[in-house]
Amino acid sequence: MTLSNQFSRRRMLKGLGACVALPFLESVYPNAWHAKSSSQAPQRFACLWMPNGVHPEKWNPAKLGSDFELSPILSPLKQVKNKILVLGGLMNKNSISRFDGHYTKTANFLTSMPIERTVDAKVNSGGISLDQLMANHIGKDTMFPSLQYGLDRIKSGVDKAVGFTRLYGGTISWQSPTQPCPREIDPRMAFDRLFRNHIPGKKPLPPDPHKKSVLDLVMEDAKSLEKQLGIEDQNKLGEYLDAVRAVEKRLDNPKNLADFEAQITPDIRKELERMDIRIDEWAEYAEGVDITEKARLMIDIMVLAFWSDASRIATFMYGNSVSNRNFSFLDGVHGGHHAISHHKNDPRQMDQYEIIGRWHIEQYAYMLERLNGIKEGNGTLLDNSMILFGSGLRDGNRHSPYDLPIVLGGLGGHKLASGQNLYFDQETPLANLYMTMLTAMDIEVDTFADSTGPFCELLT
Amino acid sequence: MILLGLLPAFISADTKDDLEFRRTVRSLLRKHCTSCHNEADKKAGVNLDRFDFVVHVIRSGELFQKVVKVVEENTMPPPTNPPMSQADKDTMLAGILKILEKALAKPDPGPTIMRRLSHREYRYTIKDLLGVEFDALKYFPAEASGGEGFDNQTGVLYMTPLLMERYYLAADSVLTQVRNDPALWQQLAPRSYRAGPLRHFTNWWKGKISDRKVYWRKPVNIAEDIILPFANKAYRRFLSIDEEQELMSLFENIYFEEWRKKDGFEIAILTVFKKIMVSPSFLFRMEANLPINDPYPVNNFELASRMSYLLWSSMPDQRLLDAAYRENLHDPKVLRREVLRMVKDTKFDRFSENFAPQWLGVQDLIFSSKTDHEKFPEFTTSLRMAMYTEVVEYFRYIFTQGNLLQLIDSDFGLLNKELATHYGVSGIEGTDFQKVALKESNRGGVLGMGAVLVSTSLPERTSPVLRGQWVMEQILGESVPPPPPDVPELEAAKDQVHDELDLRSLLELHRQPSSCMPCHKKMDPIGFGLENYDAIGRWREFYGTVPIDSRGELEDGVVFNGPEELKEVLLSDKEKFAENFSRKLLSYALGRGVEFLDSHTIRDLTNQLIENNFNGPELLVALVNSYPFRYRRSDLADRYKDNKL
Repeated sequence: MTLSNQFSRRRMLKGLGACVALPFLESVYPNAWHAKSSSQAPQRFACLWMPNGVHPEKWNPAKLGSDFELSPILSPLKQVKNKILVLGGLMNKNSISRFDGHYTKTANFLTSMPIERTVDAKVNSGGISLDQLMANHIGKDTMFPSLQYGLDRIKSGVDKAVGFTRLYGGTISWQSPTQPCPREIDPRMAFDRLFRNHIPGKKPLPPDPHKKSVLDLVMEDAKSLEKQLGIEDQNKLGEYLDAVRAVEKRLDNPKNLADFEAQITPDIRKELERMDIRIDEWAEYAEGVDITEKARLMIDIMVLAFWSDASRIATFMYGNSVSNRNFSFLDGVHGGHHAISHHKNDPRQMDQYEIIGRWHIEQYAYMLERLNGIKEGNGTLLDNSMILFGSGLRDGNRHSPYDLPIVLGGLGGHKLASGQNLYFDQETPLANLYMTMLTAMDIEVDTFADSTGPFCELLT
Repeated sequence: MILLGLLPAFISADTKDDLEFRRTVRSLLRKHCTSCHNEADKKAGVNLDRFDFVVHVIRSGELFQKVVKVVEENTMPPPTNPPMSQADKDTMLAGILKILEKALAKPDPGPTIMRRLSHREYRYTIKDLLGVEFDALKYFPAEASGGEGFDNQTGVLYMTPLLMERYYLAADSVLTQVRNDPALWQQLAPRSYRAGPLRHFTNWWKGKISDRKVYWRKPVNIAEDIILPFANKAYRRFLSIDEEQELMSLFENIYFEEWRKKDGFEIAILTVFKKIMVSPSFLFRMEANLPINDPYPVNNFELASRMSYLLWSSMPDQRLLDAAYRENLHDPKVLRREVLRMVKDTKFDRFSENFAPQWLGVQDLIFSSKTDHEKFPEFTTSLRMAMYTEVVEYFRYIFTQGNLLQLIDSDFGLLNKELATHYGVSGIEGTDFQKVALKESNRGGVLGMGAVLVSTSLPERTSPVLRGQWVMEQILGESVPPPPPDVPELEAAKDQVHDELDLRSLLELHRQPSSCMPCHKKMDPIGFGLENYDAIGRWREFYGTVPIDSRGELEDGVVFNGPEELKEVLLSDKEKFAENFSRKLLSYALGRGVEFLDSHTIRDLTNQLIENNFNGPELLVALVNSYPFRYRRSDLADRYKDNKL
């Protein structure tokens, strides 16, 4: 294909190596962690969320325990098979709704609570999402408490048929039950936001010495306005104040900035340079055309964020709920994701459904392999991560919320008994897995949503 | 003993109305409705067994309006149940209507919370304030919609850290652009100041003899003349003394640090501008919240902002501000004059750009489409953009020079060459959009527009169900309930020459099961009427070699064949369209969903439309004059403490 010719020619000219499937990279310890062993390295969490469910018969591996064979859809994970947990039988009971097949299973994927049926005024996810809960505890140790990425613009409009705003279909991260987190979908903007001033060879942005004065002043403004407002307006202004505070936090602390600068090792710098070029190339040749490359770019930005400790928490949505992405670019597929997920048990449709599911796992495997290729302490970055892959539905044709497709990659700081295929009793809360992860991260909470406790069998 | 006897009266506080409600309406609901519509078994999601107080009925006003409607139309009780006697019907309807009308007797403008500028509004406000083009929709994280499907609804306009970062960067970027454009900068800051050699010497000398920071009046005076007018425009109101002082303090702090630099003055001015542009008073449309129990009219400047954001998606211009300052903007004569002036202004284009695509649900087409490019290579980006533009151009034309019924059908279109060729209309040249007669071309109105037809299709084929649902929701304002979660499988299509051949028979199967029929018999026929338009909106007569059958039969027995006849059917129920359009427009104007308490406003706007022959500007005049547009209620009042609309 012409595209790849142009890519490799450019790289040849720049004298850089290929960028997919990186060799084992050494990471020089950032100063702060010199004395720590790998289990004391910070834990990372990411969630990759897929819409529309999976082919129900091709998802679960056959044997249980550690001696299992990967199923057809999970086959791309063979390089990291010993570091994943395939978990069956889990569900969010609060997803069940008489009204709707998708939104009530998407927005609450990480909150495990029932969402409020509304088109605008009463948007409510029922609870804080897992990633934001983690960010509340460990987010202050990094430049960016958490990151939210996606591939598509959030779908606009309201779904009058079911009575929900499509906001629910594009949000899995909730700072609070009434505060959704917006996603970044543009690789260039996401990359620049984290690393703009650290890209070798690129002139850093001019300094902004008066930023703090400006932000201080608008904070004062807002606080004095607050007194004159009613309750609802005060809530809105409260959002504003929180937002300004969050931006100020990054400015306020010169120690944070210096720490971050020190964490950008030469290896990371090289990778930043490569990414910068890759993003330019993608924007020039493949934007709007190559969704696989876009997904990989966003994944690589998350990997870089974890590697450089810019952030430790990230969520990623492959698409909006009910996504009808045209997957005809895959061999053997003709049509849109949502349409194919309503396969009506037609074997031809189900084959395509399987291929699409596998494509999602391929990108997930890409992320796990990248993390596994970065040395950290006595192991790899993947050993200190918990990367969740899942969907709020099992079989898209039946909108089934039971027995969700869930994979948890990474060793969680050697706290997870990984490398197994497990099946829990039907209707076991997914929130139990979340409690398990919170425990692995040493975050103490009484409970999470409808959890009945963590899975002690999974914790070493 | 006496006390115990009085106890129930204290606890329940039943009013006369409550008792009457229970005696009449509630007992009838229990007799005819609650066997299906109860707590345990909420058929269609409706529970009519929970109403004991009139206050609760009013809170579910919309639901009871629906109850009235289905009882009046004899849709309920359903045919499988014994019908209501005329006496029961009359009593129930009279009872409910009495309660609803009493509730509506005291006008209520609905909740008004401070509204952040939507991305579209930000873009145009920047354009009008500074003269710079800024692609806010691309730069800021994408946002969802609410209410009747618009992105300017208060409930979904959040402020998040990510957005705040971007606002700051945006202000930076925009101001840099202005600074680098001599013409634009000149307008903003006609005068400048540079410290001359004498000033440098004086300051050096003063620095030697004392520790105090330097200060002198001249640059501050010049700066005041630049900053304060800008702030007035940006905040869309006059500033308080405190606010003015705060801005000038900021200027002084920055200037007296940077004064030695050649452009120190400009740096300080720009910093203050930046502060203004990330202030809540710029980013939000704030209105005074007075400690008054009853709703009160918004002040003139607030009204001016409401008008300009409705009609121009942007800040008021100088003439509107002058009218707000000097005249009584609430005076119907003044309102009318200003609205008509604003509609004639080119900035009114933005109304079409923002309202029309969102109303028709085609707003995402400007970014992308799911259409399969291999199957439809003719569907280029350029064609897609042309389809989007057609919607905006057509809407603008009929709003300013036609009438709104032409949305459903007309004998002309606004096309450019590419789109005309796509539609099979010849003789049009050029990339500009022009008015084209469409007498015999099977087009005319939104149902024949590429944007609509593409948005209601699947990547590889048409979907009569999607199209039918679209017409019902966007044109008629009828919402179709969702499919049940566990849709049973349809039999697989047998192998046919052409995929779509079996579409009609496949969909016929939709109507067989009794659970699918009630909704699909409403939607599918409409979609069939549009089957002559393929998945990218081209006209076709055949599926392969089999002629297309575009007949449809509606529930009430009305039969039509093809889009022309379908449009006639739609036009025959003008009132439904008028009411739907009024709802959509009201939601767009108020920034919230339309609720029960807006019933009278909707009724008035609907009547207005019909009486004025669907004239667009007259509708806007009526809207701006309407009660919820000019009044607000305070958040502080006791009455709304337990507010659960």
